[in-house]
Amino acid sequence: MSLFNPEDPFEIDLISITERAAVFNVEIKRINAKMDNAIMSYKDFVTYIEAILAISNSTSDYWKLNVVNDNKFLTKKQSVLLENPEDINERLIATFEYHVVYNISYAVPVLCFDVWNQNGSRISLEDYWKYNKHLRDFNMHDTLTQTDHPALNRPIFAFHPCKTHEILKGFARTSKNPIVSWLSVVRHFVHLELLETYIKNC
Amino acid sequence: MASEKSLSYVPLSSAINPSFFSKLSQLKLEVLKSEEKFVPIWGYTKLINDLNLPVNLIEVDSTSFNLHFLEHETHIPFYGNVQNVNTIEKFKNCDKQLLVDLEGAKFHEKLMNGDILKNPSLINWFHLLTYADLKKYQLYYWFAFPVLQNIVLRIARTCNITEEFSDNLVNDLYNEFKKLDSNQKPYFAVVKLQNFVQVNSLYETCNDWSFFKERELYFAFINFAPADNVGSNLRLYAACLVHFHPDLGNTEVNFIALNLGRNKDGVTLKSSTVYKLKLPDNASIDWSRWLGWEKNEKKNMGPRFVNLKKSIDPEEIMELSTDLNLKLMKWNMVPNLNLNKIKAAKCLLLGAGTLGCAVARSLLGWGVRHMTFVDYGVVNSSNPVRQSLFTFQDVLDSKPKAQAAADCLKSIHPGVVTKGYQMSIPMPGHLVNGEDIQEAIESVEKLDKLIDTHDVIFLLLDSREGRWLPTVLGARKQKIVINAALGFDSYLIMRHGIHVENATTPQAHNTSSRDLKSISGVNLGCYFCNDVVAPGNSTKDRTLDQQCTVTRPGVSQIAGAYAAELAVSLLVHDKGVAAPAYYSSKNNELDVDETEPSVLGLVPHSIRGFISSFEQFCPATEKFTNCTACSQFVMKNLFLNGTQFLLSIFNDSKQLERISEVPKYCDSIDNEAILDEEFSDWEIK
Repeated sequence: MSLFNPEDPFEIDLISITERAAVFNVEIKRINAKMDNAIMSYKDFVTYIEAILAISNSTSDYWKLNVVNDNKFLTKKQSVLLENPEDINERLIATFEYHVVYNISYAVPVLCFDVWNQNGSRISLEDYWKYNKHLRDFNMHDTLTQTDHPALNRPIFAFHPCKTHEILKGFARTSKNPIVSWLSVVRHFVHLELLETYIKNC
Repeated sequence: MASEKSLSYVPLSSAINPSFFSKLSQLKLEVLKSEEKFVPIWGYTKLINDLNLPVNLIEVDSTSFNLHFLEHETHIPFYGNVQNVNTIEKFKNCDKQLLVDLEGAKFHEKLMNGDILKNPSLINWFHLLTYADLKKYQLYYWFAFPVLQNIVLRIARTCNITEEFSDNLVNDLYNEFKKLDSNQKPYFAVVKLQNFVQVNSLYETCNDWSFFKERELYFAFINFAPADNVGSNLRLYAACLVHFHPDLGNTEVNFIALNLGRNKDGVTLKSSTVYKLKLPDNASIDWSRWLGWEKNEKKNMGPRFVNLKKSIDPEEIMELSTDLNLKLMKWNMVPNLNLNKIKAAKCLLLGAGTLGCAVARSLLGWGVRHMTFVDYGVVNSSNPVRQSLFTFQDVLDSKPKAQAAADCLKSIHPGVVTKGYQMSIPMPGHLVNGEDIQEAIESVEKLDKLIDTHDVIFLLLDSREGRWLPTVLGARKQKIVINAALGFDSYLIMRHGIHVENATTPQAHNTSSRDLKSISGVNLGCYFCNDVVAPGNSTKDRTLDQQCTVTRPGVSQIAGAYAAELAVSLLVHDKGVAAPAYYSSKNNELDVDETEPSVLGLVPHSIRGFISSFEQFCPATEKFTNCTACSQFVMKNLFLNGTQFLLSIFNDSKQLERISEVPKYCDSIDNEAILDEEFSDWEIK
């Protein structure tokens, strides 16, 4: 029966690492020359996320490349123990699904995420901040909202892309992979673990 | 010995992904229905656990129902069954101990017949009991990760792997481990040699046991607990090993609890632990007593509960709930009902008045997702009380009825694909000349296109002549056409036949039984045939639409509902538009089973009802050879002269009678009087 054999929600497109590795370096150098202003073309975005995927595959990390309606984006699922700093008995295991997607109108990458409890119910933005009070004072707080996923067209939490330019600009000339550099900044707000290997190689 | 202590274990922890519930609901609704059988599912845990987690999560999601585990080298599969029970009482009261013992017995069987030895990953198993309340989006669930009762492993020695294996050997172990088949990865044997390690499957080890038992042997397993703790899977593993090698009973055996982590060089096994454990005697192991139900969030022995309503997008909930009531029909009432056919049907509603609103409402209930309205008027103040899709605000806005109806459908159910067209339908006898000609041509073309792109055409207009053009086009394009018309306290709902090139004169068929007759759906009469040649009881059959604005309010609701039900019955009939209509020539009651019914029952040609006496009957009539709408004469002219022909009819409806050879026909029969009366309204403009 077809129900028992549903298609995987995402089409997984694993890239052959060895073949691509050499190409990446040349490609990325070329792109960097254009990066004086902090916008990023979709083509460049794809090059960067494929570079991340190659490293992920070589270190048994959990990034996956998804292709939906011709949109490529990265996802990674990761569970984290969250504690309410005001009451350490109040703790929960939250599972995040991170999406690194391209936003056409801002021409920047967007970090979206779903976050749910162990029983599958979604954690509201309010509850999320309860466990992350220490992050409230940063300006990023205002930019975390619920929006439509650019590729999946369903609601998802995301950092509004309006501040991404600012962050990207700082890395525009120095970073081999601005997406990694940008993630290394925003990851703290969503408990995203980013291995040193990515930063070393970018 | 004082240093001997027993191991304590970290239990596994279940984690449900939001997509799991949707898939479970779908499985329950479409496949299992009221069955409570066990369904095999997959769970998985990560090979490298996330950094600060105190436990390992066994996750289930929508892919858990796939036939095969979606293999990913970074995940370890768990094998399980899910049993969804029908009531909360059953969920609470079923014997949980018996349940794990019975499932445990199945595990023991797999151990005895060698399955476990060949595929040790089967040691990773679970059972899931659920009660899903699909209407409230609530899920009661309880995972069990069963282990044997009374297995005690005593620690003789424990140390970090690096104390017994050099760095090179640890790296070597990881490289050998990576080469293992995914079924062998969770549990395997390691032989430590001077300069390298040798990794063997349990099966190989067992086959050559006399060789291996003399080596420096370690039984390795992936530790489903953070380093320095040990996962509860070790107990079952140890029991299996004693079963494979009874001589290990009561002896001290080396284990490696593998904990994979990452460092700057990549993946490492350096936080793994070596245990020397004293195993129990084979004879002392009781394979019939199990435990392992998971504790809930409050650390109590009990099920978990989750309300997922807020976790699902409200539009998705609407979509799911609409389908829910329909899918429940398939459980017992109508198992073979093809809901997808109904859902996919594109419906064109000509007229967005009392009938249009009533039909749209019923179709919405049936899960129809595609409706297009055509109406010329705007909502006026007499409409909202009778026409269920309009409100006072629409009157203030002078909103076009077609648009207002579409907007309202959207606000009732955002998932509906709907559009409203404000346009008039050209009618016979309503003159078009000068500038109007272009507009009439455009209207004809627009209607032609709309009929082309829809599957079911509803004629719900307030005049008789307005129905002529869509009747002609619908027959020509072989669409399902459903016509509804109202009198003051009476209604008529009928389906039309379709045009077939060079068809022979239709004949009603006598069936084997008594006075039962049938007419193929293709050859059924249209609205215009039937009002010319009245069937049987002529006192009851009269032209209904003439008084249509003055009707008892319930009539439109009744007629609208019947129109939708007739369309749905026809859609799900195997023969579709060609479904035969049966009737009794002696007005006897029909036995539905004898009438080639659809899964929903009889598919009549027409339904005529009278509220004054609360009576209703379902006559069937054939096409009238000289019909002014669906006859071969009209079809031929339409085919040859197209729009020009239509324009000439709009300007001179008398032509229709000539073309259809009605006068010739009238001459041939006696009751001219009836015909004269019937055709008199063609001259009303």
